[in-house]
Amino acid sequence: MLSCRGLRKDYVTERGEVAAVAGIDLDVAAGRYTAIIGRSGSGKSSLMAMIGGLSRPSQGQVTVDGTDIWGLCENDLAAFRNRRIGFVFQFASLLPTLRLVDNVALPAMLHRDRARSAIYSRAASLLAQMGLGDHLDAYPSEVSAGEQRRAVIARALINEPALILADEPTSDLDEQTEIEIMDELLAVNRERGTTLILVTHNLALAGQAERIVHIAHGVIVA
Amino acid sequence: MRLLASLALQNLGRRKARSLLLIAAVAVASGVVFTGATLMRSIDQSMAVGFTRLGADMMVVPDGALTNITAALLTVEPTDLVLDQDLFTNAKLAAVGRAAPQKIARVEHSGIGSHHESADLIGFDPALDFTVRPWLVEKLNRDMRPGDVILGAAREAPLGSELLIFGKPHIVYGRLGRTGVGTHERGAFMSFGTLDALAPSVHGHGGGPPAALQKGKVSGFLVELAPGATPLQARFSILSTLKGVKVVTGDSTMSGIRQGLSALLDGIMALMVLMFASTALMVSVLFSAIVTERRGELGLLKAIGARRGQVVGMMVTEAVIATGAGGALGVVLGILVMRLYERSLVYWLENVGVPFLWLDTPRMIAVAAGAIVLASTIGALGALYPAWRASRRDPYDLVRGEG
Repeated sequence: MLSCRGLRKDYVTERGEVAAVAGIDLDVAAGRYTAIIGRSGSGKSSLMAMIGGLSRPSQGQVTVDGTDIWGLCENDLAAFRNRRIGFVFQFASLLPTLRLVDNVALPAMLHRDRARSAIYSRAASLLAQMGLGDHLDAYPSEVSAGEQRRAVIARALINEPALILADEPTSDLDEQTEIEIMDELLAVNRERGTTLILVTHNLALAGQAERIVHIAHGVIVA
Repeated sequence: MRLLASLALQNLGRRKARSLLLIAAVAVASGVVFTGATLMRSIDQSMAVGFTRLGADMMVVPDGALTNITAALLTVEPTDLVLDQDLFTNAKLAAVGRAAPQKIARVEHSGIGSHHESADLIGFDPALDFTVRPWLVEKLNRDMRPGDVILGAAREAPLGSELLIFGKPHIVYGRLGRTGVGTHERGAFMSFGTLDALAPSVHGHGGGPPAALQKGKVSGFLVELAPGATPLQARFSILSTLKGVKVVTGDSTMSGIRQGLSALLDGIMALMVLMFASTALMVSVLFSAIVTERRGELGLLKAIGARRGQVVGMMVTEAVIATGAGGALGVVLGILVMRLYERSLVYWLENVGVPFLWLDTPRMIAVAAGAIVLASTIGALGALYPAWRASRRDPYDLVRGEG
C-alpha cells in the first residue's frame, strides 16, 4: 500500500544543513495500523509529512497504491491528497469561520465530484457517527477540544481515503478524551479497513498498533 | 467559486475592525480619485469654455487691415481686404493649435435693428469655431442648420423666431452672453453657407458684395496656440510662412494661464495616480501580514487538497471584495462631497458668471465604475503576490508556521 525508499529530508539552518530524515525505507501493508514513535525532533513528523505529500523530500520516493506521489504535478498531488489521504493533525485544525458540517464537507467541496446535497448529507452522517449529530451548525469555538478532534476525524473520512495519517492527534487532550479519540481512529481502521499511520511519542497508544516503527535521529532503529 | 467567495467573506467578517479599516482606507483613496477625476474633467471642460470665452491668442488679418485691438479677440473686424479661407489648412503650422476663419460685413438696411442702424453679419465655420459658440447662453435644442442665426447680446428676438435679413427668413437659433466687445454684442452670427446665400443682397462701397463675402475668402482668422507654443514662436512661424498677413496679438498672459492650468491639472492627476499606487502598496503590505497570520489555515487548506489556484483565488477574492466595497463606498462619499461642492463653490462661481460644466451623467457613471474597478484591481494585485508566494510553499511548512 505504502512504500518509502531512501527517503531523506534536509533542512537548512543557520548552523548548516540538518537531516531531519536521513534515509528511510518503509513498507506498510493495506488496512494495517502502524505507529511511528520517537522522541521530539527524531524526524517522525517530517517522515509523516513526506508520506502524506505535504513536504517534498530532499531525496527518495514515496509510493501509495502504486503512485509515485512526488512524481505528480502540483494539482495532481493536491487531488491525490484530497481523495486518497485523510489527515488528523496534532492541533485543532478546523477553520474557525466554518460550522462543523462545513469543515467536514470542505475537502469534498474542493474537488467536487458529487452534488452539494450529497456531500453535506455524508458530512452530517459522519458527524453523527462521531457523536456530533447535535452540533452540525456549531462553530469550532463552540465545542470542546475532544469534539473538535472528532470533527477532524470526520473530515478525514469525507472522501473515503485509503490512508489516514494522524500526527500526534491527542497530544493536547486529557486522558479520557485521548482514549475516546483513539477508539474512533481504531474503529475507522478496523471497520472500514482504512490504513492508519499514527505518529506519537506515547508508548501506550503505540501499544495497540500492529506494527511499531521506532525512529531516532532520522533513521529507523527498530 | 461560491465556496471561495464564501470563505473569503467569512474571513473578512472574522476581523471586522481590520476589514472596516481596509475598506475605509480604500474608500478614501477611491473617493479622492473619483471626486478628483470628475472635478478635474469638469474643470477641464469648464476651462475650455471659460478660456475660449477669453478669446483667441492672436488674430491673423490681411496686411494693411486696420484693426481695433481689444484684450479679448472674439471676432475679426470688417475690412475690404481678404485672405484665402484655406490659408491655415494648407500651411499646417506646428505652433498653431486652432485657426478659426471668419467673414465679417458691416451692413445697413438689413432688417436687423432699426432702419439706419448698421449691423455686423459674421460668418464662421461651426467645425472650427472656438470664440462664438462658447458664449451661447441660450439656444434651440438641436444642431445649427443653414438659415440659422445667432444674435449678439445687444439684439433682441425670441429663440426660434423668424428674422428677416435682407428680406430673407432666418431662424434665431441662439443668443450670446454679454461680452463687452461691440462687434460681438451687435453681430448676427451665421455659418459661411448662410452668409454666402445673403451675399447677392449685400452691397459694399463699390456697389457689389463686400470682398469678404466672396466664396473661399475670409476677413481673417482667430488663432489659438498649440500646447507649449509661445505667442512669439507662433507669430514668427505665421509671418515666415504666410504672405500678406498681419498678426494681432491679444493678451498673452491668458495664453500662459491657459497652458499653465492645463499642466497643473495634469500634475494633480499624476498625484492622484501616485496616491492610488501607494494604496496598492498598502493593500499588498496588509495582505502580506494577513497571509502570514493565516499560514496555518492556508497550509491546512492545501493539505486537505486545495489547489494553488484555489488558495490564491480565495485570498484575491477576499481582497477584491474588501477593496471593491471600499471603492463603492468611496464613490458614494465622492458624490456627497460633490453635492457640497455644487452648493458652495460652483454656486458662487455661477453667480459671478464663471461657467462650471459638470461631466454628463454617462461619463460620470463611467468614472465611478472606473474608480470601483480600479480599487478592486488594486486589491487583487495587492493580494496576488503574497497569496502566490504562500501558495508555492509546501503545506507542511505553512502548517508549521514557516514560509
